[in-house]
Amino acid sequence: MSVEEEIKEIVAGIVHVDKGILTREGSLRKDIKADSLDIVQALVAVEDKFDIEIPDEEAQKFQNFGDFVDYVERRVAEKEKV
Amino acid sequence: MPLKGKVTLVTGSGRGIGRAIALKLASQGSDIIVNFFRRREAAEKTAKDIEALGVKALVIRANVGDPAKLDEMFDTIATKFGHLDILINNAASGVGRSVLDVDIKAWDWTMNINARAFLLCAQRAAKLMEGRGGKMVSITSLGSSFVLPTYAVVGVSKAALEALTRYLAIELAPKGICVNAVAASAVETEALKFYIREGLMKDIRQATPAGRMVIPEDVANVVAFLCSEEAFMIRGQTIIVDGGTSVAPFMAFEEQSAVSR
Repeated sequence: MSVEEEIKEIVAGIVHVDKGILTREGSLRKDIKADSLDIVQALVAVEDKFDIEIPDEEAQKFQNFGDFVDYVERRVAEKEKV
Repeated sequence: MPLKGKVTLVTGSGRGIGRAIALKLASQGSDIIVNFFRRREAAEKTAKDIEALGVKALVIRANVGDPAKLDEMFDTIATKFGHLDILINNAASGVGRSVLDVDIKAWDWTMNINARAFLLCAQRAAKLMEGRGGKMVSITSLGSSFVLPTYAVVGVSKAALEALTRYLAIELAPKGICVNAVAASAVETEALKFYIREGLMKDIRQATPAGRMVIPEDVANVVAFLCSEEAFMIRGQTIIVDGGTSVAPFMAFEEQSAVSR
């Protein structure tokens, strides 16, 4: 399963939505009505899943779901390189 | 150096109150385990500042609301140090909502991090204090006894923490473990500035008879006292550090009352 698919499963499980509605252009807050606790829980679950850390300062820069996925993919790639 | 050779775990000690407690106890000679959850950089900075005081620091990332992560943290402490002398249960989180808006998710998140974590930490810590005694101090807040805006679930979690402090104090007394809590009013930290507007900060300053807001070092000083042998006969208590706010709740309204008939 791709990183994007894994993140979709995690987010959908936390916010209780069908993962099909998660698009790269969509906003977690506006489009799937995730609240601040959902977002923190999603960040933590993704951190645990991929054994990476996502600083709050970075997470605040995400404009949409695609930014979140891209960031995680970069961090996973960096980790694999090390 | 009253704590020379001791080993202390301070949960949530990367920033704010936890950092101040960690530095205070380190300055008294204790090695410190710096637990953090979200901000590694801050935790590494705290550890560096602790080491500059001539003691050891170990940084461990763990969400204290996750029992498996807590277990991993205590396994690491057992392996690296073999024992624990002081547990400071400081890590906290919360969802600011009115009572009617608190859902199960917000309740569980807050209760697990603020209250259940102390239960699980105390159970593991007591084993690491076996045969040598120890100290446990929890950080709570005035919201356990007083109603604060959108603080319902956090206030309830802090009330649970204080009750747990009393039960643990009695159950662990025969093992030579002292358990107490420190309740602070609004403490001037980065976290507080994030949650409340500057106008409210000013109101809090004005409502504090001591003339200023509580700062993290005020809390750390009382924690250090509770970790000292001088506090041996204090058990199961919640010591309030609030500059007098809780015993003078109407002081902020003095001017308004004066003109009312």
